[in-house]
Amino acid sequence: MLTVKNLHASVGEKEILRGINLEVHPGEVHAIMGPNGSGKSTLASVLAGRGTFTVTGGEILYKGRDIRNLTPEERSWAGIFLGFQYPIEIPGVSNVNFIKAAVTEHRKQKGLPELSAAQFLKLMKEKMAIVEMDSSFSGRAVNVGFSGGEKKRNEIFQMAMLEPDLAILDETDSGLDVDALRIVATGVNRMRRPDNATVVITHYQRLLDYIVPDFIHVLYKGQIIHTAGKELALEIEEKGYDWLINK
Amino acid sequence: MAEVIRYDFGAGAPQTVLQGFEKTPAAGRFALTLAPGAAATVYVLQDEPSVARLDAEYEVTLAEGASLQMIFVALSGAQISNRVRIALQGPHAECRLGGLYLPSGDQQMSFNVRLSHDVPECYSSQLFKGILRDRAQSRFDGLIYVAPDAQKTEAYQANHNLLLSTEARAEARPQLEIYADDVKCSHGATVGRLNEDELFYLRSRGITAEEAARLQQMAFVGEVLEMVSDSALRDSLTARVLTRL
Ligand SMILES: Nc1ncnc2c1ncn2[C@@H]1O[C@H](COP(=O)(O)OP(=O)(O)O)[C@@H](O)[C@H]1O
Ligand SMILES: [Mg+2]
Repeated sequence: MLTVKNLHASVGEKEILRGINLEVHPGEVHAIMGPNGSGKSTLASVLAGRGTFTVTGGEILYKGRDIRNLTPEERSWAGIFLGFQYPIEIPGVSNVNFIKAAVTEHRKQKGLPELSAAQFLKLMKEKMAIVEMDSSFSGRAVNVGFSGGEKKRNEIFQMAMLEPDLAILDETDSGLDVDALRIVATGVNRMRRPDNATVVITHYQRLLDYIVPDFIHVLYKGQIIHTAGKELALEIEEKGYDWLINK
Repeated sequence: MAEVIRYDFGAGAPQTVLQGFEKTPAAGRFALTLAPGAAATVYVLQDEPSVARLDAEYEVTLAEGASLQMIFVALSGAQISNRVRIALQGPHAECRLGGLYLPSGDQQMSFNVRLSHDVPECYSSQLFKGILRDRAQSRFDGLIYVAPDAQKTEAYQANHNLLLSTEARAEARPQLEIYADDVKCSHGATVGRLNEDELFYLRSRGITAEEAARLQQMAFVGEVLEMVSDSALRDSLTARVLTRL
């Protein structure tokens, strides 16, 4: 599904990703861990096509196709979803209009007709239920005045609406209390299919108790320095990252 | 000089005046007088061929307890200039001003507002917002004047501009002249561009760059359009604005 080969990316003169290799197959869950500032969010942003970062080397193959020149919206249509570490607030645009615009464009790209208002509301209700989000959030401006946890639920709600093939969830667990974490994780698990894949970026082993990864990668200074199975999370929880960095 | 067109609003049921809609003029010289307790809403639509030059002048006085809402929607015209003089002359008079301007091409639009609180205990608010594209220019000069004995005045003013091209230019000159000490006043002006973080967020959900920019512009002007309380009029103004975004 996703093959990242020797990926280098910079902001201005500053190189942040320094040769990333990653292979994700359908049905898999990958976790990316690593200390703050190691480049996890940058990797997620680069995969989603954020213009702030320049890819200076390497390849990103998604479903066999080089996506480096695709716009963020083209990547979204192709099935890539980024759950933001810091979801953006958009004053003046309601959550319902936002997600409606997104779903309508996705359907248009697939050659499907626009959903009727009733169909759309039904779909929205169903997907909001997955993350136990109250319907009052529909009319509110996107993420404005949402608590940290509400923003993260809103990300997973959007994911549920768009049904991506590759979801990259950047610290979706941060700012969540235990109940919200369980709700969000259960939501993500319910969306898993044999033909889609999930990359979760996290600091904490506790999320991985719910969303069990097939692989854990440790990112440090723009490179993946270690890859192992799910048991690595516990080891990191106990020993930190130093033993991996100094290896 | 053009003849002054007068509107005298007496106390009683609120009245609405539409300027620039169908046969009423969008420009000219107007004198509006609000008697004690009068309530009026004035909408000024300026949507002319892009060769037209429009000059509008409004002299407005509000007596005790009068209330006025005035909303300008300037959509098109080679050169549009609005000069607005409002005097709050009786206690508890209230004035809410809204303005939207969307110049494109080489259009120039300007607002020159002087809002004076001559007596105590009046309220005024001003919200002017502009979106400028191409080589368009705008200018907002807004003065809030508070007379020495106009205590307990509340006066707010905001002017925000969104530039959609590198050649567009918006000038904002808010001014306060306050001679009373017990007042609540604020003013603020900004000139900015579309927010890149918001754009990326919208696009990452599959919304095209054009649609994302339109959503942001709608959000930007929404605050002024929401001031239009008549929902049919609001919808028709919104539709007109949408064709310009
Ligand atoms: N827009 C940016 N401009 C400059 N530096 C950036 C930018 N975004 C990220 N960085 C830098 O890149 C490094 C990696 O950041 P990030 O990808 O956010 O790390 P992580 O998500 O692993 O905490 C940090 O040193 C950070 O300061
Ligand atoms: Mg991060």
